Amino acid sequence: MITEPRIPDPDGFYAALLAAHEGRTEAQSADLNARLVLLLANQCADQAVLLACIDAAAEADDDIPTTTTTPP
Amino acid sequence: MENFAFAPAYELPVWPFTPPPELGSAQVVRHPVVIVGAGPSGLTLACDLAQRGVRAVLLDEDDTVGVRGASSRGICYAQKSLEIFERLGICERIAAKGVTWSFGRTFSGNEEVYNFNLQATSVSTQPPFINLQQFYIEWFLVERILELGVTDLRWKSRVTRVEPLADGVRIDVETPAGSYTIEADHLIDATGANSPIRTQLGVASHASRSTDRWCISDVRFEKPLPTERWTWVDAPFNEGRGVWQHLMADGVWRIDYQMPEDCDPAEISRPEVAGARLREQLGPDVAFEFVWIGPYGYRDHLLERFRHGRVCFIGDAAHVVSPFGARGGNTGIQDAANLGWKLALVTQGKAGDALLDSYDAERRPAAQENLTVTSRSARFLAPRSPAEHTLRRAVVALAKRHTFARALVNTGRMSVANDYPAAPLLPEGARTVQNLPLRWADGRQTTLMQLLAEGTQCLGLWFAPTRAQAQAACDATAALPLRLLAVGGDSGLPTLQADETLARHLGLDPGATGGFVLVRPDAYRAAVLAQATPDTITAAVRTALALPSSP
Repeated sequence: MITEPRIPDPDGFYAALLAAHEGRTEAQSADLNARLVLLLANQCADQAVLLACIDAAAEADDDIPTTTTTPP
Repeated sequence: MENFAFAPAYELPVWPFTPPPELGSAQVVRHPVVIVGAGPSGLTLACDLAQRGVRAVLLDEDDTVGVRGASSRGICYAQKSLEIFERLGICERIAAKGVTWSFGRTFSGNEEVYNFNLQATSVSTQPPFINLQQFYIEWFLVERILELGVTDLRWKSRVTRVEPLADGVRIDVETPAGSYTIEADHLIDATGANSPIRTQLGVASHASRSTDRWCISDVRFEKPLPTERWTWVDAPFNEGRGVWQHLMADGVWRIDYQMPEDCDPAEISRPEVAGARLREQLGPDVAFEFVWIGPYGYRDHLLERFRHGRVCFIGDAAHVVSPFGARGGNTGIQDAANLGWKLALVTQGKAGDALLDSYDAERRPAAQENLTVTSRSARFLAPRSPAEHTLRRAVVALAKRHTFARALVNTGRMSVANDYPAAPLLPEGARTVQNLPLRWADGRQTTLMQLLAEGTQCLGLWFAPTRAQAQAACDATAALPLRLLAVGGDSGLPTLQADETLARHLGLDPGATGGFVLVRPDAYRAAVLAQATPDTITAAVRTALALPSSP
């Protein structure tokens, strides 16, 4: 899994991603993300890298601290 | 409300209970092999042993085939099973009665999203699949067993207790004419998913039950449809749930509907309710009659070991998986074919007892693989969370437009002859050899199964050996259960015509000479030797049969 930056225009990519989600409900956005994940997975085409990416994505989620107090 | 007709029930054969000689005798008779349970795996094993001249006692608590009250259980018989049946002499009957198919289509809504053609990877004389009601398979096996006349088939004989002994098993049997006790050198439990023997011996099955619910309608109708396996991930005519559609013998279609998890099994299987589903699917003008309606859930289990001393578990007694992909009955049949030749050689003193351990070493990983594969299909078909529904929606949506996503649509991966992992008796692991059509040097036709049907021995297929090598190998292996055959060349051995398809299928370079492949009696490739010598051939056979390396 490559974690060094490789996206040529990061801000442009992010903007396009947000634009694709614009005007969608939460469920429609989830559907879009799922389709995007599958399309990108097929571009990658490397089982070991795909599994490493799944692990990395799951770990990143674990790092998010759970908020137990009401924000001010 | 529409009235729905039922076809007359299948007329199943009944065989008589004959009081065995042990009844009323104080002497406890010892039998080499006792099989309990005359389902597909128990009958296949009895037939396999009979074909090898090994007399087994087969005990069954019933006196007919199939499950009383249920018209059918398994319906799809895979190529490896059909090849086994070919060797046992019943494949022609199965092909004549059943429905041959190799093509499958999967739909989402009204659109096709995936298809497969299993013929594309086949070099066998048998087709990829034949559909046939399970009781016909059992019926043909019983008649073949009776024809061979070797097996002691005992109907209406219920095993009430088994007691493992140091060198065998003691078995109490209850019959309409009283009870008796026998002993067996080897007991084979083929009593199915709810095995009372497994329970009595306290062997854990590690069962888990699914919440997914289905309802089968076996039905006859006049509407020309292709003889293909059709599945819907989300059928518009079943409220967006899964549907299976498959033709069996006698013009009977099996249509299997996925139901809501919280459904009432009695309600969804009422003829009026099942009939309304069919009417929705078939349209207003198609006349149909029910053969059988049966709601079901499924479960799985897997024993930690398939061999416990002198007791071996085969078929559903050892493993149960969800039905997607036809990996239940076919796996049981292949368990039986894996064990049959081993029991034959061990009881005849031609192989070591460790050969029976290889039954567990080979068939348990096969069952584990089937459990993994079928669990994945089940999970695709019955998503367990909103996220799983989202991912499946994405797969199906992309599959309609892009070929890559079709590989992710999983309505069952059809039963295969599982590869075996590397093990002491199989240093390189093993894979099946399909039933290739072959020709003798003089042009006569044969097949691999015909060659394997003669006696219980491995086949040594040797590509163009020299005369001196062939003679030396014959001398070196004379005492071993091995039949040496040449493929091409002029060695003096019985010789098959050189055949590129055969060489490639066996994993040899078609142009090279001197290569040797050891094929076991169950048509698994046990060893490949690039340049064989009499010594390496002898060593390969002794390894495969668990014989000590120096005689």
